[in-house]
Amino acid sequence: MSKKYARFITGLFCGVLTLSVAANALTPDQEFSQIENRALAQKPKLTADTLLSGSFMSDYETYVNDQFVLRDFWVAGKAYVERILGKKENNDVYFCADGALITRFDEPDADRVSRNLDKVNQFAAAVEVPVTLGLIPTQACVWSHKLPANAPNYDQKLVLDYVAENTALPTVDILSTLMAHKDEAIFYRTDHHWTSLGAYYGYVALADALDYEPVPLSQYQKTTVSGSFYGTVFSSSGVRWVAPDEMDTYVPEEGIRVSSVTCDADWNPLVVEERQLYDESYLDKKDKYSMFLGGNQPLAVVETGNTDKPKLLIIRDSYTDSLVPFLTAHYSEIHLADLRYCKAPLSSYVTKAGIDQVLVLYSVPNFTSDANFPFLR
Amino acid sequence: MVFSSAFFFFFYLPIVLAAYYLTPLKLRNLVLLVLNLIFYAWGEPVYILIMFLSTAIDYTHGRIVEKCKAKGNDRGARMAVASSVIFNLALLFFFKYWDFLMTSFGVQGLFRADLWKAFDGWMRSFGINLPPHTPALPIGISFYTFQTMSYTIDVYRGDAKAQRSIINFGTFVTLFPQLIAGPIIKYKDLGDQIDRRDHTAEKFAAGVQRFTVGLAKKVLLANNIGMLWDIYLATPTQNLTVLGSWLGILAFALQLYFDFSGYSDMAIGLGRMLGFEFLENFNYPYISQSLTEFWRRWHISLGTWFREYLYIPLGGNRVSKSRLLLNLMIVWAATGIWHGASWNFLLWGLYYGVLLVVEKFFLKKCLDRAPVWLRHVYALFFILIGWALFAVEDFAQLGPYLAAMFGFAGGGLWNTDFLYYLASYLPIMAIAVLASTPLGKRLWDKLGEKPRQIALPILMVAVLLICTCYLVDATYNPFLYFRF
Repeated sequence: MSKKYARFITGLFCGVLTLSVAANALTPDQEFSQIENRALAQKPKLTADTLLSGSFMSDYETYVNDQFVLRDFWVAGKAYVERILGKKENNDVYFCADGALITRFDEPDADRVSRNLDKVNQFAAAVEVPVTLGLIPTQACVWSHKLPANAPNYDQKLVLDYVAENTALPTVDILSTLMAHKDEAIFYRTDHHWTSLGAYYGYVALADALDYEPVPLSQYQKTTVSGSFYGTVFSSSGVRWVAPDEMDTYVPEEGIRVSSVTCDADWNPLVVEERQLYDESYLDKKDKYSMFLGGNQPLAVVETGNTDKPKLLIIRDSYTDSLVPFLTAHYSEIHLADLRYCKAPLSSYVTKAGIDQVLVLYSVPNFTSDANFPFLR
Repeated sequence: MVFSSAFFFFFYLPIVLAAYYLTPLKLRNLVLLVLNLIFYAWGEPVYILIMFLSTAIDYTHGRIVEKCKAKGNDRGARMAVASSVIFNLALLFFFKYWDFLMTSFGVQGLFRADLWKAFDGWMRSFGINLPPHTPALPIGISFYTFQTMSYTIDVYRGDAKAQRSIINFGTFVTLFPQLIAGPIIKYKDLGDQIDRRDHTAEKFAAGVQRFTVGLAKKVLLANNIGMLWDIYLATPTQNLTVLGSWLGILAFALQLYFDFSGYSDMAIGLGRMLGFEFLENFNYPYISQSLTEFWRRWHISLGTWFREYLYIPLGGNRVSKSRLLLNLMIVWAATGIWHGASWNFLLWGLYYGVLLVVEKFFLKKCLDRAPVWLRHVYALFFILIGWALFAVEDFAQLGPYLAAMFGFAGGGLWNTDFLYYLASYLPIMAIAVLASTPLGKRLWDKLGEKPRQIALPILMVAVLLICTCYLVDATYNPFLYFRF
């Protein structure tokens, strides 16, 4: 190596370092990452305590990573490199056929499943009204034909069978209905939820157990509200080479009132916030699925104007948000409780709100992993 | 702080280089000492005290040894060496092996956490508040205690002069490039460089090149292939297949080699950037044709250390045959347990002790006549079995894993999981297998001066860009459930 060439290599390396130091120093820190949907680490405060405990140092390393210049670009770059290297997944998300990204589903913790189911059974015994249990299989199951060859994938049917065998409650076979339509766009390709179409088939599957006559699909007018939806799986995968999803609605929202209610421990409303069946302001944000009912809330009450119809309580996860529009035709009120935020006893709510039917509706991954079922009482 | 983090590469390294080269030559060791201490304190600030203590004690011992020798007081010099060795071993023993020993003998209430609590209470009576948690194992303690031990011994043996300047000596003890993962550098190999070293563009550029190679080995190969081993280590034994368990252990073998040799490369590269020349630590170990050869190529600095400071003092090979066997077993037991406070490492060390003895006294003649391919198969077979002993620390899991490798676990030859992981990891494993042979180096040397000069900067920048993707992605941690 000649002196001149050595100087060139030295200069190049030091140039790369200087450039990145300067770029990182000059770009302002970000508070929030849209794409990761989380607050980014901020510069930690230096105190004697944080220094001695070492938390300053570890926080600082996280801060440097989180605030790294062009962070999203590097993250996407890693997913590309993984694909070039022949990987079929990144960050637990499979690269699937038809541009779909599917979160892998591994064998669930059997204890947790049995404990969660026990809570549902005990709750059903404690209330006077009929309780129905529905579990929604996800992409990894219904779209298993799109997964990479031989991809490890726990069969969600085993969970459904286990649940059906270990409860006296009526269970809903959502799997068969979804399987019959697996070639349609019943799930988002970039998000973990079902589409409005998928939710419609869910609504059809629930009809017998909940005792209503489903409206035929042909009677709705499909409206495409967004063509640029990139969901949660898009975020977690780091994959940036897939096309965005389309979001549709079927049911008109006229005459439907949605309130998000915060209650005290005796279910007396403290704060009531008006919401909409479709909050289109979310369509301008990353988190577009929150268009349905305005996103997460502890307790929602949907009033439909069909005053002669019964009242339904759904204990649920976010899959229900896009199902509710279809149910509005058959109920006077639909109450939605999310156990993550709703911790008071729901059995007393059933009495207090005059509920006629209860539906427990979860996706299989959420039902098998949610730690909030102890609040179901 | 690890070298393979965005923080080190884009934050600490620029500070180190700027501070080091902006300082006049005479003060560079002092600056380097400060930078070393910050580097070390970054992980666990309390342990900076160990660095001070080690430096002070070994420095003093070195001076005493030299003084005694000058006066012809060999007994005094020996006592000083013994005292220094005892101090270093006690340090290593207390932090690394104490809890293990307590557990092994079933002693309760004397774990390091208990001792720390008592110490904490005692300090509080003086009004000094210590951090509330028990500090973990000091990073790199196995490496730097061996380096400081070598110092007094080298001085006693006349292989090195005692260091006059405590700052220079502190710089040696705490030298950050090889502080936490080696290579283990003997004082006699570095002493002169601590006092005086050249800083040339050639050396710096060679360092840059070497560091980049090491970074790629660690970030692109080791971390990636390591995920495959993690999967197989976590696989319930009844789901292990014959081919799957071999794939898993092969993944571990590649991960360990690229992790460790990548770290050594980064250390050697950083050393050169700061004007040092460290000795090599790896020499394509997986191309070995015997286990003896493997240990000449694997973690060379550790093998040399044990040879010079344990095997030879025990009498080397100039002893009776039975004593030689005993010596070899002692050396290999020590080599094994050095790797970690767990029985499986001892077993792994003794496994090599026995195999090397067998090879030395019986197999060597057969091997010499065997075809080359058979020698490779023989060496790799025993190396991989060795890695199973090394990697599966839990004995309850080790037996079933070995059983699965030989088809005694009932999991079948393969399953669909194996096919999936094979397809996913085949390209990267193929790259890794090729990269563990001298093939790349041979091609590079064949390339000719001019094409090399064009290729080098392009490859270097490309590797740095790709590594940056992986380093930044390390905290990619989307928070999805609650807000969606």
